[in-house]
Amino acid sequence: MRRILALFACVAAATLARADTITVFAAASLGEALEAVVKPFEAATGHRVVVSYAGSNALARQIEAGAPATLFISADVDWADHVEQRGLAVPGTRRDLLGNDLVLVAPAASNASVRIAPGFDLAHALGDGRLALANPDAVPAGKYAKAALVSLGAWAGVEKRIAPAENVRAALALVSRGEAPLGIVYRTDAMADKGVRVVGLFPEASHPAIVYPMVELRGATPATHALAAHLGSPAARATWQRFGFRVIE
Amino acid sequence: MTGRDEREIIAVSLKVALWGVAWSLPLAVATALALARGRFFGKTLFDAAVHLPLVLPPVVVGFALLALFGRRGPIGSLLEPLGIVFAFRWTGAALAAAIMGFPLMVRAIRLAIDAVDRRLEVAARTLGAGRARVFFTVTLPLAWPGVVTGALLAFARALGEFGATITFVSNIPGETQTLPLAIYTFTQTPGQDGEAVHLSILSVLLSLGALALSEWLVRRRLPRPAHA
Repeated sequence: MRRILALFACVAAATLARADTITVFAAASLGEALEAVVKPFEAATGHRVVVSYAGSNALARQIEAGAPATLFISADVDWADHVEQRGLAVPGTRRDLLGNDLVLVAPAASNASVRIAPGFDLAHALGDGRLALANPDAVPAGKYAKAALVSLGAWAGVEKRIAPAENVRAALALVSRGEAPLGIVYRTDAMADKGVRVVGLFPEASHPAIVYPMVELRGATPATHALAAHLGSPAARATWQRFGFRVIE
Repeated sequence: MTGRDEREIIAVSLKVALWGVAWSLPLAVATALALARGRFFGKTLFDAAVHLPLVLPPVVVGFALLALFGRRGPIGSLLEPLGIVFAFRWTGAALAAAIMGFPLMVRAIRLAIDAVDRRLEVAARTLGAGRARVFFTVTLPLAWPGVVTGALLAFARALGEFGATITFVSNIPGETQTLPLAIYTFTQTPGQDGEAVHLSILSVLLSLGALALSEWLVRRRLPRPAHA
């Protein structure tokens, strides 16, 4: 028994002594939710978790350029693939963490009403304003939004009327501030911002499934591994769900 | 990226920079004249206000513009019924460029006006010329190199403007996406370095062209005096 206690003390001491700083690159939409999930992990382990939020494309780009992040949570499969294909990830550490939905939002004070259905007239609903979304060529939220509008036959009508943003939160801010009458963001973004109102939900079948893959990057430490385990643990699930994410088993 | 996109990016950049300079130049000359020759209450404060965009982080200027000239801003909401809209328009980019370049323009013109020999102005006055005539026939021609230099500095600043522009009018291809914004967008996406490099080279060429043009303008209007 004493031997076991001693061993336990050793392990505990070793863990406590190695209070690491873990740098995480996370999709902008994870914002407040990730902070909330990470907090108990920091308290329990003494590690410090530093998160840099941006569009997943920009993060992939920085990882490619040698950024010292050890954990990457992308908002789509493509940018996680991109990082893996370039040998920047630790093989076998990838898992799909979360799911999300796509919504059409308007400023909270607006009375806009749009029914999302095949062939719906989004351009008319915009009036002379612009549709805020993340850059549809590179940023996941923008790519999903474009895919949804294309499959509903509404893209051609608004293609010239979009206000592309650096990431989904920048698009959200354009709507929240009233600069854009409508915008397309994740459901979780709309929940996080009192300045916007959900006008409609895009049918799941209208766009590729929204998945957040998480992968450890070269340079990952045991602390990174512990954090990854925590983010996917049952303990974290309730917090993710509170912020509106779907947890992928 | 296609050639058409590239031409569009350059067209937007030139349009924004040229209009920004064209609208602010007369105002800059008036401001420079007031600062060089005027004596009025609050001049120091006025001087500081004019120079503010030079020392503030550009994103602060952009944010201030957004707050004032945005669709819901106190000025923006007044101008909208008149059909003057800055939000998401190239006109907004031109406004941002004009404000960021303004202090540079005023400084160059003011120095040139300071250097004008006041005795020449006095002589013109004794010969019966009014104040306005003295300004347009004596002071302004003599300060011309400063005006050209100021306009060029402001033009270059406008071509390079990034922070205030992206904060105020976003980054919309064909409308507000100027060269620096397009380059930034390309650098944010893996595999698009080629386009970023291409546009960077174009931006160097454009700046060199502007420099050469201003040199030519200064020389053409001002044959070197024999004693210089």
